[in-house]
Amino acid sequence: MGMLAWVMMGLAIWHFTIWLPDRYWGGIVGAFVGAVVGAIVVGLIIHGFTIPGTHDTTIATALEGIPGAVIGIGLVYAEGVRRERARDVATTG
Amino acid sequence: MSDRRRHGLVLLLVLGLLAASAVAIALKPTLLGLDLKGGVQLTYQAMPTPQTPKVDQAALNDTVSILESRVNQFGVSNATVQTEGGSLIVVSLPDVHNLTRAENQIGSTAQLEFYDWEKNAILPDGQSVASQLPLQNPKAVKISQGAAGVAPGDPGTGGMPLYQAVKLASQQQPQTTNTKQLSRLGNEYFLFGAPGSQACTTAAKDEGTLPVKGQWCYLAGLNGDTKLKQLKSESLPKGVSFSQGTVLTVPQGWVVLQASNPTPTDTIKPTSPQAQYFVLRDHPALSGKQISNPTASSQNGEPIVQFGFKNGGAQAFQQVTANIAHRGQQLQIGSNPFFQHFAAALDGQLLSVPQIDYKQYPDGIVNTGSSTAGASIQGSFTTKSAQDLATQLRLGTLPVKLNRISEENISASLGASALHKALIAGAVGLGIVVLFLILYYRLLGLIATSTLIIYGIYFYALIKLIPITMSLAGIAGMILTIGVAADANIVIFERVKEEIRAGRSIRSGIATGYKKGLSAIMDANVVTIMVAFILFVLSTQSVQGFAFTLGIGTIVSLFTAVLATQAIMTTAGDSRLMARPSALGAGKPKRKITFDFMGMSRYFFTASGVILLVGAFAIGGKGLNFGIDFTSGTTATTTLVKPVSAARVSTIAKNAGAPEPTVVKVGSSGERYKISFKKGSPRVATNVRDALNSKIGIARTNSNNLDWNATSIGPTFGKTVANEAIIAIIAALAVIALYVALRFDRKFTIPVLIALMHDILITAGVYALIGRQVTVDTVAALLTILGYSLYDTIIVFDRVRENIPRMPRAAFSQIVNRSMSEVITRSLATTFCTLLPVLALVVFGDETLRDFGFALLVGVASGAYSSIFIASPVLTHWKEREPQFRHRRNRIVQQFGFVPAYATGAADVEPEQRRRRTRATLSEVGGEEVSAAEFEELKRQIAEEELESGGTSTLTRRMARTSEDELQETSAAPRRGRGRIRDGGDGDGGGAPPRPSRRSQRLRAEAAEAQRSGPAPVEEPSRPALDPAITEDDLASHPPAEDIEVDDDVTSSVEDEATDADVARRTDANGAPQGGEDGPTGGDGDGAPGHQEARGSDDRQRQRPKSQQQRRSRNRRHGRRR
Repeated sequence: MGMLAWVMMGLAIWHFTIWLPDRYWGGIVGAFVGAVVGAIVVGLIIHGFTIPGTHDTTIATALEGIPGAVIGIGLVYAEGVRRERARDVATTG
Repeated sequence: MSDRRRHGLVLLLVLGLLAASAVAIALKPTLLGLDLKGGVQLTYQAMPTPQTPKVDQAALNDTVSILESRVNQFGVSNATVQTEGGSLIVVSLPDVHNLTRAENQIGSTAQLEFYDWEKNAILPDGQSVASQLPLQNPKAVKISQGAAGVAPGDPGTGGMPLYQAVKLASQQQPQTTNTKQLSRLGNEYFLFGAPGSQACTTAAKDEGTLPVKGQWCYLAGLNGDTKLKQLKSESLPKGVSFSQGTVLTVPQGWVVLQASNPTPTDTIKPTSPQAQYFVLRDHPALSGKQISNPTASSQNGEPIVQFGFKNGGAQAFQQVTANIAHRGQQLQIGSNPFFQHFAAALDGQLLSVPQIDYKQYPDGIVNTGSSTAGASIQGSFTTKSAQDLATQLRLGTLPVKLNRISEENISASLGASALHKALIAGAVGLGIVVLFLILYYRLLGLIATSTLIIYGIYFYALIKLIPITMSLAGIAGMILTIGVAADANIVIFERVKEEIRAGRSIRSGIATGYKKGLSAIMDANVVTIMVAFILFVLSTQSVQGFAFTLGIGTIVSLFTAVLATQAIMTTAGDSRLMARPSALGAGKPKRKITFDFMGMSRYFFTASGVILLVGAFAIGGKGLNFGIDFTSGTTATTTLVKPVSAARVSTIAKNAGAPEPTVVKVGSSGERYKISFKKGSPRVATNVRDALNSKIGIARTNSNNLDWNATSIGPTFGKTVANEAIIAIIAALAVIALYVALRFDRKFTIPVLIALMHDILITAGVYALIGRQVTVDTVAALLTILGYSLYDTIIVFDRVRENIPRMPRAAFSQIVNRSMSEVITRSLATTFCTLLPVLALVVFGDETLRDFGFALLVGVASGAYSSIFIASPVLTHWKEREPQFRHRRNRIVQQFGFVPAYATGAADVEPEQRRRRTRATLSEVGGEEVSAAEFEELKRQIAEEELESGGTSTLTRRMARTSEDELQETSAAPRRGRGRIRDGGDGDGGGAPPRPSRRSQRLRAEAAEAQRSGPAPVEEPSRPALDPAITEDDLASHPPAEDIEVDDDVTSSVEDEATDADVARRTDANGAPQGGEDGPTGGDGDGAPGHQEARGSDDRQRQRPKSQQQRRSRNRRHGRRR
């Protein structure tokens, strides 16, 4: 159940990335992967690599998906910007 | 063969099949499933045995074969035994209501073993009973001779609690030699909780009992787990973890047998603290495989089971009874006989421990060879249980051990009521769809209605012919396919209307509409069939019924929509009925949809994000309300003879042993109750039933049975269902992804999967938010959402795929916007058409159908939404990162400062048609390759061009005097080439390319000169100085002929992109901004830009001077690629 909450939160957060310029590594799909994977990984880290069961899942579990999703999206965005710059340098060089 | 004749034949085929279907419906019976007919359904999980260490398909098949024989012996008609997944076996027994007998008869392994009792039984100190009898050890004597009035082997004759027995056995040395004599290979593992531990308290609570002070409690292992892994995978009492228990190991060569039942009606549960056990050396004298012709009989009025011997059984029996008799003789003290015993054990429990009278049989019991001679077992039998045991022994031992994980007992009246409601839901659903179709599509709606009726008749006939056992889930699938069948018609109708509104004749519109709509229908239906197939193969039985009807229904609807509807429409197309477009609902061209789907997608994305956020919090805060299918427990529905309060029913249930019962009144009569409690034991359910019947009274059905429907689910069942659902989802997604990648493009796959994920999670969120119970049916509906959501998305993507080559200069968002505007009516109509029958399920269906209906309602609505506002925007964002679409977008932004929502000045390129096989495709009406509207528009554009250029083109002059034959010739000409002229996007394109005017030739020469003066950048268009007399429109409307050759060094792997690149390079070379399709400069009224843009490369090629074509051929020979 915890996994479901994290994935759902990651997917929810990803929907808001449409307001940012599309500079993600892999585009909007890259952002999607970053959000979902980020939410799951950070959730797992918080819970010591165990998945909360039905009775252990609370609103806090869902909230734990937010930082992971944001970090994931941020990493994908940063990598996208880095690659963009590298490409620009290669083009102008 | 002419169209008319072919359609006539199809109509004949349709009528012939109708007649055959009518015969089948009249003659064949309809098989009703348990949920519609009433009966018992038992679900077992197959576990390994010493004889079958691994449960494989062969073992399952053997088990099913034996079970079928048992079921037949049980005298049940239409009973079914089916395997599910890798280890489940489902036994359905219609019209059977004696659950206990059914369980005993069907599911027991029937492993019969015979032991020399005193020789093999051991005392708590580990010594054998036989060795201690000469010493008159009181414990040994008690085990051997029993207590006062109690026969040996019964409770109270030296047995011990399970923990002590297992502990004693675990201290013995394993037997590693003569393993062929053993009944079990390998160790046997048990898990116990320490006295007073939390595990024991929790387990007792789950069991509905109190923990016994100072005693170890049983947690797991009685399933005969011969591997620790099996023990770990066994379901533990709710709230108990494996680490809380202590594992004990019974080594190979030793068995722990439960004492026999005191009386036939007084049975003791193996896990009960009252149950007693004996420890024996596992050295059976003979097994059930060595007995023959077992029959139930009676001796002195007591039921017995008689049998003969085979496979050396007679000798073994004589030998062991002789040994027992000799031991008895030796132990005789004075004149008191000291008979020794022979134990018969069935599936881990003693049946009886009879004595061998050494006076009567001093040399053992000798088999005379006749079929009835041999031996008999007596004790603890009723007449029926003796008959059942005889039957089981006759049919043989099951190769696997069956662990019951769920059972369902449905009364016939509930089944009849469910069927009645299902039929009402189906009729209402069909009626609403028919009404909608007729109101919206008029005559086409009537045709669709007739094909829906044909579809219904075919489908019903197939159900009877195959035959399909109809269940509630199957009926839900059938009702859903009404929507699918209507949808196939809607896709075609919308296409036909498009074509007719574009100016085609009705007959031509039908033919063209069919041709264009077919690929979308095929793709969507193939995916639905694939999903149905995966569900059928990988899911549980209730889901299988649903999947099977969905798959068959989709195939039948494909047949009726593609062949029957077409034949009827084409035949009717020549009649007066279809003389006017308005009869088809295609009268006046409706206002074009200009909604900026992609622009607004941000807001819809945000809305989805908010819904998912709420859903995620609901999942976290409230969680999903899992039904007993997943949590295990019992749900019973019953009708009492008089209305009483729910509290009183609850008290009676609690006193009968139901832990924490929940009682709610259901229905409007006030006497019907639903009782739920968290315990999977059917015994408790039976106790509750008996208590309610005695204290209040349970109403009786027409067949004089108690109106009592109980479902008990073990914890393993939920796990199995969930695991199978996850496997089915993964498999379905993989197959869907593969299909979309193959049929469309790799990049179309991810948006499809994201949209599916969106739909399933939103449905889960809604379930969590409103607290609706999640059952197996919900899972089936969720899996179906996969298929249906995909169906919708594929229809949209199919149009995008179609429009991509048609709009070679448009930004991807413009392509998607246009595609959306073209299919939005169909999407809304088809969603409406599917939601209507689903809504009927929710309103009129029974509980199961409502479960299906609600999940489908949310999922289908979400699926329609996501295909428009999730999948398409994701695809747009992703595709626009591709260099060619980025280039287009940059170009448009550079020109206008923004990207218009629609390519208003668009002129389409008709993509190259594949070579058509005349037998397999629909033919168009000759002479109407270009619709009337397109042709008029074409003429108007050319006239405007000539007016603007101040002259009259050759083509205009020709057209002014052209004969009909010449027109046909010109309209047919583009079909030979790769591209055709098409205006604005509404029409189908086609028509002859005009010959270039003098002015255009002058422009081309100037463009060629500009090209020769220096290389033009490919990606970033420059704006060199131009003759001020030349306007942008001029350039856009007059493609230079020679520049194509000049730019040959730029390559493109995508053919349609080559066209785009050519045009871009051409304008770059001229330094002019690009007009045409994606710029408003060349609007519909302008005509000229579209005229220019539309010209495909082959058209241009045809217009080139011969010398240029020769040069190009030369270049190609030298390996230059375009």
